[in-house]
Amino acid sequence: MKDEVFDVLIIGSGHSGGMAAKVLTESGIRCLMLNAGPVADVSRDAESKPAYELPYRGFKPPGRLEHVFQSNEFNANVWVDEQEVPYTFEPAHPYNWVRVRLFGGRSLFWSRQSFRLSDYEFKAKSHDGFGEDWPISHADLAPYYSRVEEIFRVEGALDGPPQMPDGNFVLDNDPWTESMQRFIAAGKPYNLPVCKQRRALGRDGLASSVNLLLPDAEKTGKLTSIANAVVRELTVDKNTGLPNGCNFVERLTGREMSVKARVVVLAAGTLESTRLLLNSNLGNSSGMVGHYLMDQIYGAGVVCSVPEARGGKWKELMGGSAIVPRFRNISVKSDGFLRGYALNVTSATGAMGANSFAAYGEELERKRKDYHGSGFYMTIMGEVLGRYENHVRINRDKADAWGIPVLHVETHYTDNEFNMAKDAVEVGCAVAEAAGFEVLAKNAVPNPPGYSIHEVGTCRMGDDPKRSVLNKWCQSHDHKNLFVVDGASFTSSGWQNPTMTILSLSMRAAEHLASEMGTLNV
Amino acid sequence: MRRREFVRVLVSAVFSSRLLRAQRAGNPQLPLPAPVPWTVGLNPQTPLPHPAVAEGIAEALPRFFTPGQMGTLRRLSDVLLPAMDGKPGALEAETPQFLDFLIGSSPDKRRKMYTGGLDWLEMESQREYKLPFARLEAAQAGAVLEPWLRPWMSDHPPVEAHAEFINVAHSEIRAATANSKAWSEAASAEEDSRGEGLYWSPIEPLLHGSGSGCEPVQSKALGAPKNGHSIPVYPR
Repeated sequence: MKDEVFDVLIIGSGHSGGMAAKVLTESGIRCLMLNAGPVADVSRDAESKPAYELPYRGFKPPGRLEHVFQSNEFNANVWVDEQEVPYTFEPAHPYNWVRVRLFGGRSLFWSRQSFRLSDYEFKAKSHDGFGEDWPISHADLAPYYSRVEEIFRVEGALDGPPQMPDGNFVLDNDPWTESMQRFIAAGKPYNLPVCKQRRALGRDGLASSVNLLLPDAEKTGKLTSIANAVVRELTVDKNTGLPNGCNFVERLTGREMSVKARVVVLAAGTLESTRLLLNSNLGNSSGMVGHYLMDQIYGAGVVCSVPEARGGKWKELMGGSAIVPRFRNISVKSDGFLRGYALNVTSATGAMGANSFAAYGEELERKRKDYHGSGFYMTIMGEVLGRYENHVRINRDKADAWGIPVLHVETHYTDNEFNMAKDAVEVGCAVAEAAGFEVLAKNAVPNPPGYSIHEVGTCRMGDDPKRSVLNKWCQSHDHKNLFVVDGASFTSSGWQNPTMTILSLSMRAAEHLASEMGTLNV
Repeated sequence: MRRREFVRVLVSAVFSSRLLRAQRAGNPQLPLPAPVPWTVGLNPQTPLPHPAVAEGIAEALPRFFTPGQMGTLRRLSDVLLPAMDGKPGALEAETPQFLDFLIGSSPDKRRKMYTGGLDWLEMESQREYKLPFARLEAAQAGAVLEPWLRPWMSDHPPVEAHAEFINVAHSEIRAATANSKAWSEAASAEEDSRGEGLYWSPIEPLLHGSGSGCEPVQSKALGAPKNGHSIPVYPR
């Protein structure tokens, strides 16, 4: 057993690792999957509780998860603990690295917005001269997007402009509510292409690797998986110089273990895959590993109320959600920034947050009752430009709980991103006012980088081995049997939630690998 | 005779069945470790005790804010969120005592925002009314607070010095109250404001904190009495 060499070692079990495992095992290839954390069993590990039974009444436990804005006391134990797996950054430029190491990774908790990239992203440099084009186009990825959309049951309407290609959707035929119609009409002078929101319905309320991908892989009998396996480094065949497996630490015991495989697929999540490559000194002849870290700006937006929906009259007016795909720098060049942003638009029917009002006590309660069901929200998802200087590197002075050197993250937003956020809030306010909505609160300051949990880049793909880490198959330029199938391969970030693209790239890479297994000669 | 015969038969039956069991066990000499093994009888149907939450029964001892700051926080909490519409206010929910615990357990920056903010409120109150904030009428306290209240979006409270404290404290006083036992009991079953959620326990946590590997295993039993029972000691 110990001399066993697997066909493919897959490190990570989230969307990208799950997809690679499904495709490869269904092609008859024997895979070993390592995941750094345990299996989460909701029936064993979670229960419904009132906040008052928790030590901190639901508040985030003090001193823990400082950079996970999404955390609270209920979910504090699902995120990676910042003391257990630290990372470093300059205090002036904080980074929110939001991680989950449970089996299935962040696919257990994602928000399920499901978009394709368009050629405005794949061929961005050809469009505006900045950065690099991807070595693929939408046409190359479209068949894979279509199959991924079917597996994840993406709901949407066929209403996308060229910058948001339509897909293989569970059709959303619901009519727009009146508040949405008013928003659409008011957005016309700004050329806002208001479209139906697109989201993965999944199965049984879950759209995760653990229920949509891994069961198919396990059914083949070709998948072996190990939980709590924290990979320390990839190992290399001394004769060929090719990766041939990895050394890992058993998370709970600290025991050092080793496994062998003919091919290694990294799917640990953008920054963990990159950390592994850097700690293993592999795949970096270009010097580009770690560079061009991107994500999307979140946090800026506008909170409004629809006056006619107040006083309990919201039922006739409110409800529904929309996506306004990027509309800047499509046909007309904008001043102030390259690329663009999307707006998530929600016509909400529930209670409005108390912080939407400058009031307290009984007056605040009166307002909250009156405004109940009248909330109309716009929030930004803006493209962050890929810049060489925004990067991660290994910090040799600090190690995690298993003695593995940690990442130092050095990244910051520039005027391009700040101007984009400012523009989004100005447009949002103007459209809201034109629609007759009351603007209650607005914010043009983005959350710290990383907050969107859409970190991409750091092993970007390209045709030129001197300027990129991976080729168009997510395959290392340096090592033919090394693939990186998560978000690390992105050449530009786009404004879109990256999940559909990660899944499609992983599917495409895995099918390519399956077809090439015989000729890789490893 | 009949009774004696009956007893004899019974005794021999018990004895022989014991013998049989011992034979089946293969070693009649082996003593049981206890009258019964420890967990016999514990099963999923075993009734569970229902302990209460200490808060609401026991009194929380203040440990962080000074008595003066606590007086200001109590008044601030009461003014911002009084009891209304059948729901408890911040005082009934013991929110000031809870915040003393939460803020006292928090990193320095948050502690300073609270202590600085409460001291500032006291100073403003003395300057304006020559009274401690704790003794202000609701309208007087409101006049101090209102200029600093702002609408804001999640994660982005105002950043100006006093507005930050007032708005963050307001939000936290509200959350701590809405998540209290008193509030939960007052909320009707249909309301979504009962503060319930899906709580995740630690999932296979590291038991020995940070640092690679585990704590060293103890090589001998600790706490054994110096004289008396001998406890086997063996290397592990």
